[in-house]
Amino acid sequence: MKLELHFQEFKKMVMLVERIAAKHMTLPVLSCLLFDVKKNQLTIKATNLDVGAEVYLSAKSDGEEVFAIPAATLSAFLGQMGDYDSFVNIESSSGNIQINTAKSKCTIKAVPYEDFPDIPKVSSEKKISLPPELIVRGLRSVWYSASTSSVKPEFASVYVYLKDDSLVFAATDSFRLAEKKIRLPSRSDIPDILIPFKNITDISRVLESSQESIEVSISKNLISFEIPHKVCIVSRAIDGVFPDYKQIIPKNYTTEVIALKQDIQNSLKLSNVFSDKFNQVKFIIDPKAKLFEIQTKNSDVGENKTSVDAAVSGEKIEVNFNYKYIADCFQSIDSDSVSLQLSGSNKAMVITPIGDKSFMYLVMPMNR
Amino acid sequence: MNDYSQIWQTALIEIQSLVSPANYSTWVKTTKIVREEEGIVFLGVPNEFTREWLFKKCHNSILRILRQLNERVRALEYVVMREDEQRSDEARKKAISTSTIAMPLQDFYINKEDNLNPRYTFDNFVIGPFNELAHAAAAMVVKNPGQVYNPLFVYGGTGRGKTHLIQAVGNKIKSLFPNKKVYYLTAERFGSDLFDALQTSKAQQFKEKYRKYDILIMDDVQFFSSKEKFQEELFHIFNTFHDTARQLVFSSDRHPNIIPDLEDRIRSRFNAGMIIDIAELDKESRMAIIRTKCGPHNITLTEEIIDYLATEIEDNIREIEGIVNIVAHQTIHKNKDLNLNDIKNILKNNAKPKKMLSSKEIVKTVCNFYNIDEDSIYNKTRKKEVVKPRQVIMYILREDFSLSFPSIGDKLGGRDHTTVIHSYEKIKEDIKSNSLLLQEITQLRTML
Repeated sequence: MKLELHFQEFKKMVMLVERIAAKHMTLPVLSCLLFDVKKNQLTIKATNLDVGAEVYLSAKSDGEEVFAIPAATLSAFLGQMGDYDSFVNIESSSGNIQINTAKSKCTIKAVPYEDFPDIPKVSSEKKISLPPELIVRGLRSVWYSASTSSVKPEFASVYVYLKDDSLVFAATDSFRLAEKKIRLPSRSDIPDILIPFKNITDISRVLESSQESIEVSISKNLISFEIPHKVCIVSRAIDGVFPDYKQIIPKNYTTEVIALKQDIQNSLKLSNVFSDKFNQVKFIIDPKAKLFEIQTKNSDVGENKTSVDAAVSGEKIEVNFNYKYIADCFQSIDSDSVSLQLSGSNKAMVITPIGDKSFMYLVMPMNR
Repeated sequence: MNDYSQIWQTALIEIQSLVSPANYSTWVKTTKIVREEEGIVFLGVPNEFTREWLFKKCHNSILRILRQLNERVRALEYVVMREDEQRSDEARKKAISTSTIAMPLQDFYINKEDNLNPRYTFDNFVIGPFNELAHAAAAMVVKNPGQVYNPLFVYGGTGRGKTHLIQAVGNKIKSLFPNKKVYYLTAERFGSDLFDALQTSKAQQFKEKYRKYDILIMDDVQFFSSKEKFQEELFHIFNTFHDTARQLVFSSDRHPNIIPDLEDRIRSRFNAGMIIDIAELDKESRMAIIRTKCGPHNITLTEEIIDYLATEIEDNIREIEGIVNIVAHQTIHKNKDLNLNDIKNILKNNAKPKKMLSSKEIVKTVCNFYNIDEDSIYNKTRKKEVVKPRQVIMYILREDFSLSFPSIGDKLGGRDHTTVIHSYEKIKEDIKSNSLLLQEITQLRTML
């Protein structure tokens, strides 16, 4: 069998899916990419049994064949090749795969492909058409708040649901919670879904590769994103109920701080040099003294007090937070200034960008 | 459950010889039988990939092997398990490394549409001699909602799992018949709903709201006692549901016949279906419940401790849950397993004190139960409606609290001890022939 296709397209698509192929699995073929050659069409598949992806490429071929080659080897080879505008020839002969480019030729040992699993398809008839950049933006705005432990699968997921004309993305590990609303261009009917956060990187990478609108299909245990004739990625969906987090969002506040995002970020970073092993930072907010100060103390290192220029109002308060939890949220905030609303030293603090109602971040204080 | 896992262990050995070791450990090893219904075996698989692979490559061989092991097996289906279900066997203990306060999120696991708490399922319902009848009746209802036992009426003392059982019915029906609309509420909620509807003159909307459901589950209906308007509305809903063969499920802390001030038409309708009680917990059941409750916390207690807890905590499952929570919390906090002494300390600090009853309190409870004035017991009156409760009080004081006849007489308004003896003997005899009386006394005992 001989196969000829465009080099850059080939490289791009391999790079898109190669990271999905798992490294250490009991089934060696899972660390491979599966090449399924049909007449004038090449499908490349990769899976780690939690996500699966297929890319479709048009290619010139003189026959049909299926083979699997280790993803790591192929991507290392292609990664070292510069981008150039030319064709690549792939040939199979007696268990070896030859890849010929203009300057370099390689032969890769193929792996028996029979055990490569089928990538499941979502059976639902209904397809929802959505712009990929909106989904990526939504997922990226909240996914860092999900729990890294899989004890509660609902917490290790990003919850996506429809509210009025917006798609709402939410994630929490029960210590902080991020919520992002993305207004949809057109009304569509989308069921609630929980996407495991560890699959979000793979999904975003694939979605970012396209500007075209994608088709989303959802079933009880699966969600798939497809750009027709180009790429399809399928992820496990969690069968569970995300906690009704609306009830814990404080309705009012007693103290408010408004400051430049950059100022808070810089002061936090500075203070964190002296924070203890729990990354504890202490906020001291005194509206009478017009003071917003961040304090840290580490018995082994030293201590620090940094004040931040801010407009403060309400009651005086002293409260401790985990630096990491606060610092995380700034990546999702595009506005210049942010508002911090507090309502007591053991209640959640609400962080919102000024002039942008689409994002909200809740962080719980530390109890010492 | 043990039965399945044994069958599956045997089956695994056979399957192992059919597929390559790599395939075995990737696809087969992590599966387990989650349940069996009328010969259909449901195999839990970790993900859709495994489902596809097993279905394509091994379906027939697995089915054949299962049939050889158990001829009742007719079919095989696959269900994708949640990750935490897969992990349930693993003993996992991780010290909580953060000192940030957790959000109180866990309390809100309630589905808004049907009000059901998804945590109440049949899978985590512990069956014992005390509730096996109730469980069986509930299982029948689940299979054929609205056809058999309509309404299903479950009663029993507090903390015996009534709510769990009736919510499990709802959850199960929901999963078996996804197009049926299930709704769970407490009688108190029904009442305040009705009250609101009447105040804002939206009675019609109220009626329509409840009539659109296919299965209505109502908790704690004893609250309807002496609330005529509520009873009337319930009566109409009752008729609509019954006529259209839609299922109703009720729970209460006592038998409908002894819920005071309940209209006869309601009572007779409760009686038309299946009335079933959840009895007192026996010790084995308590032990089983403690084991089940330990599961989600990933703690394991020694048999000795479980035995001790089961002996000390009586009757109330909620109390058991509370103690297990405390034990789990302390285990995580101290990062070591607790020994019997620690447990004894916990119990000493947390167990509710053994109730001390005075004869006055008994009189009060009984009077409330029969809805008569307390003073009349101590009076000389010999009205029929007072005489019976008075005799019941004497009987209970003698039988359960072994008071002497003269002192009983003394406590109840200075009666002669022969009067007491007569009353005691009379009730004792009556119980044998009058089952209603027996029921009343059983109820009273649980209320004391």
